[in-house]
Amino acid sequence: MSELKHLKSQWEAVMSCMGCGDCGYAIRPAVDRYLTCPVKEAKGGEGFEIYFSRGRMNVLKSLLLGQIPLSKELADFVYQCSECGNCTEVCHMSQNEYIVLNTSKWIDHVKVWEALRQDLIEAGFAPLDKHGKLIDYMNDVSMRNPYGEEEANKFAWISEFPEIKEEGDLILFGGCTMPLRQVDTLKSMMKIFKAAGREIAMSKNEWCCGSIALRIGDQNSLIDIIKHNVEIFKEMGAQTIFTACAGCYRTWKKDYPELLGEELPFKVKHITEILTEMLNNNEIPFKPVEGSETVTWHDPCHLGRHMNLYEIPRDAILKIPGLKFKEMKRNRNNSWCCGAGGGVKSEFPDLALDISTERIKEAIDTGAQILTTSCPFCIGNFSDAYKEMEPKDQEKINIIDIIDLIAGKI
Amino acid sequence: MTELYQKLEKIVSKNYISDSIYVRHAYSRVVDPVLQGVPDIVIRPKDAQEISEILQVANEENIAVIPRGGGDCEFGGSKPIENSGIVLDLKRMDNVVNLDQDNLIVTVEAGISWGKLNDYLCNFGLYTGCLGPGSGLTASVGGGISHQSVGGGGCAKYGSCTNQLVSLEVVLPTGQIIETGSQANKHSKFPFNRFGNGPDFASIFCGDNGIFGVKTQISLQVFPKPPFASYKTFLMPRKSEEVSAKIFTEMRLKGIDVYDSMYFMDLLVRVGTEKGIFPLWDNLKRKRGIMFYTVEANSDKELDGKVNQLDKIFEKNKSEELGSEIADGNIGKWHYEDQGHWLIAHNLWGLIPGFTALDAECHTPISTYPGILKDVDLWDVEHANEMEQILEIAGMRPITGSGPIILIGDHNVELTTGFTSFESYIDGEHYEIIEELNIKLWKSLLERITKHGVTWYMLGDILSRLLVEIGAFQPEYLQFLTLVKKTLDPRFILSKGKFNFWGDT
Repeated sequence: MSELKHLKSQWEAVMSCMGCGDCGYAIRPAVDRYLTCPVKEAKGGEGFEIYFSRGRMNVLKSLLLGQIPLSKELADFVYQCSECGNCTEVCHMSQNEYIVLNTSKWIDHVKVWEALRQDLIEAGFAPLDKHGKLIDYMNDVSMRNPYGEEEANKFAWISEFPEIKEEGDLILFGGCTMPLRQVDTLKSMMKIFKAAGREIAMSKNEWCCGSIALRIGDQNSLIDIIKHNVEIFKEMGAQTIFTACAGCYRTWKKDYPELLGEELPFKVKHITEILTEMLNNNEIPFKPVEGSETVTWHDPCHLGRHMNLYEIPRDAILKIPGLKFKEMKRNRNNSWCCGAGGGVKSEFPDLALDISTERIKEAIDTGAQILTTSCPFCIGNFSDAYKEMEPKDQEKINIIDIIDLIAGKI
Repeated sequence: MTELYQKLEKIVSKNYISDSIYVRHAYSRVVDPVLQGVPDIVIRPKDAQEISEILQVANEENIAVIPRGGGDCEFGGSKPIENSGIVLDLKRMDNVVNLDQDNLIVTVEAGISWGKLNDYLCNFGLYTGCLGPGSGLTASVGGGISHQSVGGGGCAKYGSCTNQLVSLEVVLPTGQIIETGSQANKHSKFPFNRFGNGPDFASIFCGDNGIFGVKTQISLQVFPKPPFASYKTFLMPRKSEEVSAKIFTEMRLKGIDVYDSMYFMDLLVRVGTEKGIFPLWDNLKRKRGIMFYTVEANSDKELDGKVNQLDKIFEKNKSEELGSEIADGNIGKWHYEDQGHWLIAHNLWGLIPGFTALDAECHTPISTYPGILKDVDLWDVEHANEMEQILEIAGMRPITGSGPIILIGDHNVELTTGFTSFESYIDGEHYEIIEELNIKLWKSLLERITKHGVTWYMLGDILSRLLVEIGAFQPEYLQFLTLVKKTLDPRFILSKGKFNFWGDT
C-alpha cells in the first residue's frame, strides 16, 4: 500500500468533512447558490457520490484508515474533477463574516484533490494516458509546452510586433494556450497596447508555467521550471509580469511563491487588471459607439474562486462603451465552471463539453448577446461546446475573450 | 460479476448500478463519521417500478436494502449497519411531479431536497411551511418523512414536516406499490387528503426510519409565504435555561403563531465566541444565553401586533434586545433572510480537525429541558475520566451540552444533546481507543436522556438498536412494532438491523 504521503498532510481537511452533502446538492437562493458540482450535475442520473466532494472525502477517510488501496480505478474517478473549487465555497458558505463555519479553517478541497493526485502519481496509477503525454511534452526540451508543438511555434507571432521589447518594467508571460491555440487574441492585445501607447516586453525563453502538471499532481520537474521562469524575468528587469491566461496567473501568483517558499521579486498581474488600469485612465481610444449590446461575464475558476479576482473584470466591462452588463444567475464565488480545468478537457472531453454547454445556456438565459471571459481554457471549451449547439441557440450569443471584445471597439 | 449484480443491472441498466469499492466506500458513512457500513452494491433507481423489482430480487436473495435520501442522518440512518447490502440512492428521483396551485398541494419524488423544493415553490409565492431538517439543503423530503424531521426552519409554526403530509407512494419491502390517503380511492384524481378511506396508513411510514417501505412520491400541503416578517435576538438574563423555557411557554400560552424561536445555551454562546464561530456576539458584555424569534404576517399591522406581544414577553423576562443587524448580534436575521436555517446546525463542525459531535435529536415538552440539561452536565462530570482520555489524544476535552434548542409544534422543543469528540484518525495515527470511547460514551449519554422520557425522532443505526437493547420500549409496543415489521417485511430485508430487526441471517 502506498504511503499516502501527500494525503496524510491533508488529514485535517479530510477529517473535518462532516458529510453534510451540501457540496453536492445545496440550492440556497438567498445567497445565489444554485448547486455546486459541475461534474456531478453533468453525470445526471449516473451521479454517484464518488463524483462529488462528500463521497470522495468518505473514500479518502477509508484510504487513510487503510481500508482500501490506491488504484488506477480510483484515478479514473478522481481525475473526473475540474478542481473548480466550488465545493470549497459551499463548505464555507455561512456567507456572513459574523457567523463562521469552522470547516473554512481546515478544508481547501482543491489542495486535497491535488494531494491525492500526487499520491496516485507516486504510486504509479497516474497520470492517465493523455495527461502523461501533456506532461511529457511540457518537459521535452524541444517543446516546453503541453501541446506537443515545437518551442519556436509559441513565439512565432511575436515577429509581427517589433514593438515588443526584450526587457522592460511590464513583461508579458505569453503562456502556451494563447500563442498556440488563440493567437488572434494576443494580436488583439497588442492592438490595444499599441492604441494606448503602452510598451511591453516579452522573453522567447519562457517555459510552460507548469500549471498542467500541478493540477494533474506531477510536481517532479516543477521547481526547475519555476526557477527558470523566475530567473529570466528577473534578468529582464521586470517590475511587473502579466498574463492573459487565468491558469498561468494562478500558477505564477499563488503556486510559485508557495512552492519556492518565498515571495517573487516582481508583481504578478492578470491582463484584466492591466486593462482596467488602462480603462480607468482613459488610455484606450474607442471608436464612436453605435447601438448597444448586452454582455455577460463568466468568472474563470482560476481567476475567481482560486484568486478572488471578481470585481476587476466587471469594472473593465462597465467602462467599455456600448455595452450593457447582465450577470448570470450563478456568478462570482457561485459561478459555474466551464468544465475544462483539472485535466478534464484533455482526458474526459465529453464531460468537459457537457459542463460547458450548461454554462453557455445559463449565459443565453440572461438575454446577453455576448458571453465574455478571460481564460483561454474557458474560451476554448466554450467554443467547442458552441460548435455542437443547435443553430437557433448559436444565434443567441457570441463567445469572445474580453481582449477581443475591447480590441473590436478601437 | 455476481448473479445478484446481473439481475439488478437488468432492472436499472449498467450506468445506474455500481459495485466499485470506491463507490461503495463513498456511501459507507453518513453525517456521523463514527458509524460506518460498506454496502455491496449501490443503485440509483429512477422510479417506484424499478425499486419494486429491486426489492423483489433482494427478497429472493435475502439481501438487505438500505434506502438513502440526502445521507444526512447523524446517527447512521442511511448506510448499512453491517458491511453488506444494497444502498438505494434515491437522489436520482428529485423532480417536482405536480404543483396543484388551486389546492396548495405539491407532489414530489422522494429524493428532492428541501432546498430544491422550496426554490421551486418560491416562484409561486409558496413554501413548505416546515422547511425540513437543519440539513435541508441536501436532506431529502423522503428522508424528512422517514424521520419526522424538524429544525430547519418554520417549525415553531408548522411543526414537523410530517404534519403537512397529504399522501405517500410507497414501495413495500416485498415490492408492492401502494398509495395512501385520498389515493386509496382508485377514482381519486389527485392527492388532497391524508385521512379517511380507513386508517391513516401514511402515518406508519412517518418516522419509520425506513423500515416499513421505500417512499417514492410524496404529496405535501404548501402555504403562501407571508410577505411580512420580523426577527429579533435577545441576550438572556442569568439562569437562561429556565428563563428561555418560560419564554417559550408564554409564547404558546398567548397563542402567538411565532414562526421560529431558538435558545442558545450559555455554554454554546461562550464556546462559540471563544472559538470564533459567532463573531456577531464578540461584543456582548456578558456571554450568556441568546434567544431569537421570527414571526411572519400578511400585513404591517398584523406584524406589529405580534411583535409587540412577543417583545413584551422578552421584556418581562429581563431579556435585552440586540441590534437589528447581523453585525449587532441578530442571528434571527441571518436565520431567516440568508436561509441560515439550513446551516445553523453546521457551526460546530470542523471546530478543530477531526472534531465531531456525537449527539441525538429528541422532542421533549418545553418545561422539561432545563432539567435534562442539568442532568447532562452531571453525566459529563461522571465521565470525566473518559473525557480526559480523549483530551490526552486529541488535545481538546470533549464539550457536553446542547445545540440550539428549537421551539417546535405540540408545545415541545427539539433538543439536540450530546458531546463533542474526534474521529479516530489523528495526524497519521489510528486510535482505536477513541472509537471505543466514542461508542461507549454515546450510548451511555443517550440512555441517560432516554430515561427522561423524551421521544427520539431520527433513530438511525445507534438509537434504534439502543432503545431495544436498554429495554426502553414498552414490551407491548415493541411487540406490535415487530408484528407490523414481520407482516410488511417477512425477511427483514429493508433497513436490516434497525431496531435489531435482523431476520434470518
